[in-house]
Parts: sequence; C-alpha cells; structure tokens
Amino acid sequence: MSKHHHHLDEYPQPAAAAIRQSKGLSIVWLVPLMALAISGWLLYKSWSEKGPLITITFKNAEGIVEGGSKIKYKDVAIGEVEAITFSDDMKEVVIKARMDKVAAPHLTDSASFWIVRPRIAAGRVSGLGTLFSGSFISMDPGRSGNQRRNFTGLEEAPSVTTSDPGKYYLLKAEGLGSLDIGSAVSYRQIKVGQVVGYGLDDSGQAVSIRIFVNAPHDQQITANTRFWNASGVELNLDATGIKLATESLTSIVSGGIAFDLPTESNAGEVAEENTTFKLYDSRKAIGEESYQLKDTWLVYFNQSVRGLTVGAPVEFQGIKIGEVSSINLKFESIKMNFRTPVLLKIEPERIFGRDPDLTTKDGHNFLKTFVARGMRGVLKNGNLLTGQLLIDFDFYPDLPTQKITFENSIPVLPTRETELQRLTDNLGSILDKVDHIPFQQIGEDLHALLSTANAAIAQVPVQALGEDLQTTMKTANATMNRINSMADTVSTQTAPAITQALEQLRATLADLERSLGSDSPANHQLRQTMRDMSQAVRSLRSLSDSLDRRPQSILYGKEEESP
Amino acid sequence: MTSHDTARHNFPLTGRTAGLISCHICHLACPATAYPGRCPRCGVGIRLRKANSLRRCWALVLASFILYVPANLVPITTTTALGRPPHSDTIMSGVIYFMQTGSWHIALIIFIASVVVPLMKLFILTFLLASLHFDWNGRPRERTRLYRVTELVGRWSMVDVYVVTILVALVKFGAFATIEAEPGAAYFAALVIMTMFAAESFDPRLIWDQAEDGHV
Repeated sequence: MSKHHHHLDEYPQPAAAAIRQSKGLSIVWLVPLMALAISGWLLYKSWSEKGPLITITFKNAEGIVEGGSKIKYKDVAIGEVEAITFSDDMKEVVIKARMDKVAAPHLTDSASFWIVRPRIAAGRVSGLGTLFSGSFISMDPGRSGNQRRNFTGLEEAPSVTTSDPGKYYLLKAEGLGSLDIGSAVSYRQIKVGQVVGYGLDDSGQAVSIRIFVNAPHDQQITANTRFWNASGVELNLDATGIKLATESLTSIVSGGIAFDLPTESNAGEVAEENTTFKLYDSRKAIGEESYQLKDTWLVYFNQSVRGLTVGAPVEFQGIKIGEVSSINLKFESIKMNFRTPVLLKIEPERIFGRDPDLTTKDGHNFLKTFVARGMRGVLKNGNLLTGQLLIDFDFYPDLPTQKITFENSIPVLPTRETELQRLTDNLGSILDKVDHIPFQQIGEDLHALLSTANAAIAQVPVQALGEDLQTTMKTANATMNRINSMADTVSTQTAPAITQALEQLRATLADLERSLGSDSPANHQLRQTMRDMSQAVRSLRSLSDSLDRRPQSILYGKEEESP
Repeated sequence: MTSHDTARHNFPLTGRTAGLISCHICHLACPATAYPGRCPRCGVGIRLRKANSLRRCWALVLASFILYVPANLVPITTTTALGRPPHSDTIMSGVIYFMQTGSWHIALIIFIASVVVPLMKLFILTFLLASLHFDWNGRPRERTRLYRVTELVGRWSMVDVYVVTILVALVKFGAFATIEAEPGAAYFAALVIMTMFAAESFDPRLIWDQAEDGHV
C-alpha cells in the first residue's frame, strides 16, 4: 500500500507536497468486516434454521404455488414448498418442501399432509380463509414411528387429528348411502364422533367406513353394539301404514351413523380400537338381523295379487313372521292358465321360538302337521287407505285336507281365496240356488194348500171353542186373587220387623262411633300408646348408636367422654 | 530521474509537475508548499490526491462484493394477493417472473439496473484498483473512460430500490394486495451505496500519475 505514495517523496519539484503515511490498519477496513459479519450471520441463520427437505405426493396440486405455499401446523408455518414436479409416470404431483428444524423430529410414519382448500359440505364449511390467503398444506405431526422424508399426501383433510383422544372403528356396509367424511356418529342423538374415511372393500362387494369416536364415548362401544345408518328420512309406506323416522336435522342433510345396544342383549366387553362392525341399513334392520334362521316358503295364488308388493309382511295369526321376497307370473301352457307364485322369506324362529337346535328341516316337519290341521295362506287387506295386501296364515280346520308339497325342497303351502272372493263366491252360489228354486211349482202348491185349509176351517165348531175359553178365563181370575192376598200379608207383617232391625243397627253404630271417635277415651289411649312406643324406639336407637360407638360399655358401663 | 523527465516530456504540464495543488472545493490552484494547510481562498484543507484513495476503495469494493451475496439471495419483496399464498421475490426471481409473464422490457430494465450495473461497476473498480496495484501501465485513457462509465451508470442501480419503495407505498390494498419490503432490499440498498462510495473514493488522477511515473 505504502508504495502508492512513496513516489511523491522522491518528487524533485520545488514545492513538492509532504506525504503523510497512514500507519497500521485503516478504520475503513471495518466496513468490509461488518458487511462480512452481517452477511455471514444471515447465511448461518438461514442455514441453521433449514430443516430437512421432504417430498409429498399428491393427486393434484391445485392452489399450491412453488416457492410461496406454506406448510402449516395449527395455522403456523413450519415449512415452505420449494418445487413442484411430477412423478416418473406423470400420474402424480410431487411437492418438494423445505421444513423448519422444529418439524424434523415429527416427520415420521404417522405424520400426514393434506392440501387445505375451501370446502363447503352440508353442515360444514371449512378452509374459507384459503379463499383469500391461497391454499396451503396442512400437517398433522407424527407421534411415533420411523423417521422418513417421502410422504403420500391425503386427498381429504382428516377430520380427526392425532391430538384428539378417542378410538377408530371400521364399519362394513353394503353401500355408502348419503354418508360422507365428517358425517356425525351419534349415540342417543348426541354427536360423539364422525366418519373419517371410506373406501371399497378389497372384494369390491362392500364398503368399509372408518369412524372415530371421541373419548369418553368410546367406552359405550362394546362387542354387542349395533351401528346403523341414520341418514336422512326413513319413510315407510307398507301394509302397516306410513311411518316417518329421522335421527336429527343435520343427519337429514349430511347423513349420519347411530349406534346403540339391542334392548335384549347385555353390553359385553368394551370394543378394541379398529374393531370391525356391521353397519345396518336402519334401526329396524337390526331387530330383523337377530333371527339367525331363514327359510323360504312358496305359495300360489290363482287370483289377482294387485296390492301385494315385495317386502309386504307375512303374518301368522296377525303376527309378522317374514316378508314377501318375490312375486312372479307363471303361465302353464298345458292347462292354459296363469298362476302367481309368491316367494316368502320366513324367519321360523318367530313362529317356533328361539332355539339354537332348531333346523329348517324341523320347521318343515312342523309345517306338515300344521297344513294337515288346516293351515292356509290367505291374502288380506292390510291397509284400507293404501290398499296394501299382506299374506296371513291361519288354521281353517273345516276346509278339506290338503298336503304340503315341495318344489326344489321349498315347501309349497296351500292357500285359500280371500274373504271378499269367498263372499262373492258364496253370493254367487246362493244366487245360483235361488235361481234353481221352482217358484211356479211352489206357487201352485201353495194355492192348493190354501184351498184345502179353507175347506178345513169351515168345518171347525166355533161354539164349543168359545165355551172352553170362558172356563179358562175364570180359573185365571181366581189365581190372581190368591196372589194378591199373599202380597198383602207380606206388607203388613214382614215390613215392620225389617224397620225395627235397621233401627237397632243404627243405634249400635252410634255407640261404636262414641267409643272410637276422635275424642273418645279409647282413641286417646291408643294415641298415648303410640307415642310411648315411638319414644321407646328412639331410646332403643340411641342405645344401639352408643353401643355401636363404644361396644365395651356393655361390659364396663357408661364411661365419661374422654377429652 | 531520467524516467521522470521522459514522462514529463511526453505529457503536458500538470498541477503536480508544476507544484500546484487544486483545492477540491473551489478548484483554486494552491502552491504545493501550502500542504499540509488550508486553501487560502475557501479555507478547506488541501490535498494533492484523495486521501487513502486506493485503500478506501479496496475496502468498499470488498464490502460491496460481500453484500452482493445476501442482496441477491434474500427476498426483497413479499407480495400478498387475494387468493394466493404470500409470495417472496428475490431480484432474480422477479426478473424471471417478469420475463415469463411477457414483460421482457421491464425484466431487462430490472436486470440491467439491479444485476448488471452493480456487478459491472464492481468489476471495473476492481480492475482499476488492480491495474494501479500491480502497475499495469497501458491504456490510461481507456481506463479513465471506464471510470467515467461507472460514475455515469452507477446511480441507475438505485432504480430497484426506488421501485421497491414506491411499490410498497402504492400497493396497500389491505386484504386484496400488499407488497412488503424484505431484508434483501436493505442489503441491496447498502450494496449500491457502498459501490457509490467506492467509486467516489477512487481518484482517477492516479491513473495518470501512474502513466507518467510508470507506477503509482
């Protein structure tokens, strides 16, 4: 440095300026030092705060912006999206995100990520803030498991995060119905959990629905708990009339699941997490499910089955034992006529009682006897308003005996015509008979009879008849007189005696009242006795109390209270 | 001695050879004997050349280089717009953004003013300092021209700082759109100021001193 200036010293000119040399380090070198310090500190800070780089795979990255979108937990940013690329097969989006250091220990197997977008579902609106702030990725930190850096993002926000206490369960159903993620799980109409996910079974034959039940309500779920779909409105229009059932207003809109214990069963063990339950279609279905044994019966009708529907009740002496499962029309080409085979789904246990040893074969043997005794199925009008028909079985012993037959080992039970049909049939046969009455002959016979009668009457001796009548009347008169005198005797002799007896009874009652009345001595004494007795009881109680406190007093007598 | 003489003969008369010091305020030609002292006319302290010119310039150029790193790595603005996540921009990402959205002329202006100019200035100053330090005597005229270019163009680096200031002040639409200045803007402003001081502390007359003497 110094050589920059030393030449001026050597300057030969007359008025050469004196050159001052700066000694040591100039203060100006503090400037780059400070710049270095500030920049270095900044770089160190950003480097030291830099957490791990992770990749999250999503189906699509709607609303996520490279270098801008944040990863948040509890609405606090803990990472930032650095790049968005595609997976090798271009099927998925791979988001590379730089996490903060605080998040690093929680990037484990159980951590989950999902994109928060505005979401409006029935009964729930969420993520509206992202309308203004843009979408972001939300993270549910893992609690346990191995550290990892590659994650698969959830397509839907989990409605339950790891910080909520409770249990998960799995429900199997035939269909999803109107259930959705977030649909309420309620117990006695109180919301205790929600649907957190659903998907098709591996077999594709059923839907598995994952639910979460918050603590402490998960204690209510036991081995015998029954779940049913409480979605929407259940409207039943059948032979028994119209029935409307609903769980709650929100479940109408957004669907819901309810659970309860069947009334006849006991609770049993509290269910483990991830226990699988069957999801019944309705509460009613649970009761029907509890009958294990199923049987199929077949009946034929030779008449119109208009008003009979699949699902119509089958009753036995007015009690439901099953329902109609199918109605067909069968043309018999040989006889050139139509028959209507109706298949019935019967629960034999409803007839023969719950018996674990009962088999379908037993039921069929019983049926043989019943049919021999006149058991017949008949179409009945279940509901006058809707015109729904039901099938009722009952015994008609006066009908000609019929035998039970089997078609493909399905018992075919005999039927008889409906009452209306029977009535019209009877009426028809009556009219038939009336038709066959020989009215003309009858008229002629009558005429002949009357003529004969007329002749006979003319020969009756009227005079003799009149005398006989007079004699009879006289005898009757005498009898009446005798009855009259007897009644007189009763009124003069018996009546005063009764009056006297009544007087004596009244006097006796008065005496009794005097001796037992409220101010009578007997009453007074009674009250006194009662009072004494209650005192005696009281002192007895105090005695027992003191004995209870100091049992030794029974041996050593009552001692002074110790201070 | 002879080299001095030949130098003096090859070049026209200068204040230094004539034993005169120009007052840097009122430009009065003071006799060199007055140094160290004051200008007899305006009373300011007189010096033949800027004090510690090379040393100061070196320090400031070095500081500028250091500041150049965070100025370009740290975001200078954060834009919050309705429906989008907050977006932070560094200088280069801003340039790329403008280029991708088709505003290539704005991108060019920002790129030249914020990236090319400060870098160019720093490299020119470094070259000039190095030429003096290592006695590269050639082309004094071109080197002086280079210095004039840095002076001329240097002030335009501030454009980016002004753009940020104006944007931050103008775009304040609450929830709809907001632009906030980030630390990068401060680093960048510091960088520009440093380069300006560096250029200011450089004394171009040293180039001619060197040309006359063969060394500084």
